Amino acid sequence: MSVRHGLLALLSRGLRYGYQLRAEFEASTATTWPLNIGQVYTTLSRLERDGLVSRDDQGGQDGQDEQGRVRYAITSEGRDELDRWFAKPVSRADRPRDELVIKLAMAVTTPGVDVAAVIRAQRSATMRSLQELTRALRTLDASTEAAQRLVVDSMIFHAEAEQRWLDHCEAVLARPSEENP
Amino acid sequence: MTETRPPDRLPAPDAEPVVRMTGVVRVHGEGTGAVHALRGVSLDVPAGELVAVMGPSGSGKSTLLNLAGGLDRPTEGSVVLEGRELRDLSQRRLAELRRRSAGYVFQDLNLIPSLTVAENVALPRELDGVRTAKARAEATAVLEEVGLADLGDRFPDDLSGGQRQRAAIARALVGRRRLLLADEPTGALDTRGGDEIIQVLRQRADAGAAVLLVTHEPRYAAWADRVVFLKDGQVADSSAAGMETAR
Repeated sequence: MSVRHGLLALLSRGLRYGYQLRAEFEASTATTWPLNIGQVYTTLSRLERDGLVSRDDQGGQDGQDEQGRVRYAITSEGRDELDRWFAKPVSRADRPRDELVIKLAMAVTTPGVDVAAVIRAQRSATMRSLQELTRALRTLDASTEAAQRLVVDSMIFHAEAEQRWLDHCEAVLARPSEENP
Repeated sequence: MTETRPPDRLPAPDAEPVVRMTGVVRVHGEGTGAVHALRGVSLDVPAGELVAVMGPSGSGKSTLLNLAGGLDRPTEGSVVLEGRELRDLSQRRLAELRRRSAGYVFQDLNLIPSLTVAENVALPRELDGVRTAKARAEATAVLEEVGLADLGDRFPDDLSGGQRQRAAIARALVGRRRLLLADEPTGALDTRGGDEIIQVLRQRADAGAAVLLVTHEPRYAAWADRVVFLKDGQVADSSAAGMETAR
């Protein structure tokens, strides 16, 4: 994924200027995924190159309006690509590797590292972000778009899973040290 | 708050936490069989704050809760509830302070099935010696606060799990108790029921109660202003929300 597919999804709702795409992308991900405008235009030009979006002809050169702005439209190839994306489950292997998992694996095997302290520090930090996310969710009122709630919910579930995993690590690592101190 | 306090209660200045535990040690049993449930825990729970206590089973969570509310006495250290050092109180005075100051919510709430919800909630006040009509009025008010205004005439068995637990919270709060102690109150509930309960606890804290919540669910602990992790009877670490500078 895919800012690419995110932009295609937004364009499937109708014509959009680049700055609109950026604002709508951020709004629907509850501003948890900030995009800079450069990323938006880079992505649009690649989508255009691949024939997935096109410039809406507004009379000026390269489809520009009188203010020199370009409006983009999704093509039928773009719609096919979007349908394929929605239909295909995300593979766990496609996601970026988790630095925390690597860090703990290294901490366990590297002499002289206080693994319990690494876990404790992480657990406090993860709980703090879980608290902040929960607070963010509380401040979303009932009129907030479902998409934004779902994004925050997802981050809450991830943080919660990480918290449980850290508890599990602590419990597993505590066992051998009790048997041979 | 403008409420008038009963004359026998010490005024608790705002700066003073509702509960202050200092260097609390609790040992169960003696000699070789002694179990150190708590090994020197200090914890303040101020008015308006929700504090969650987490930790593996056997880490001392429930012991901490029982000591905070005067259900148990420490082996060493000090517990000050609403300005009173519990060590200095006779059993009778302790029972009185406990009844007036602290309310408890457990996983297996014990509402009396043959009493209506409103009667259940009014019961602690009637035991306090408050007239029935006044106790009922207080029960109605607190039931409204937990969103059960219309269900006071029902019997506990007619309510959902979440509603029953909210009734138990109402009973714990009735009579303006400022300390709410909740031991795994979401434990027996599904996600939706659990969410209802944590929201009520949060609202009670926002309304000025001091709330101490024992839970093993990170997602409920995350509603707290502060999360304390207990391990082997000691505070392993704690995390406060909003302590980091804004990004």
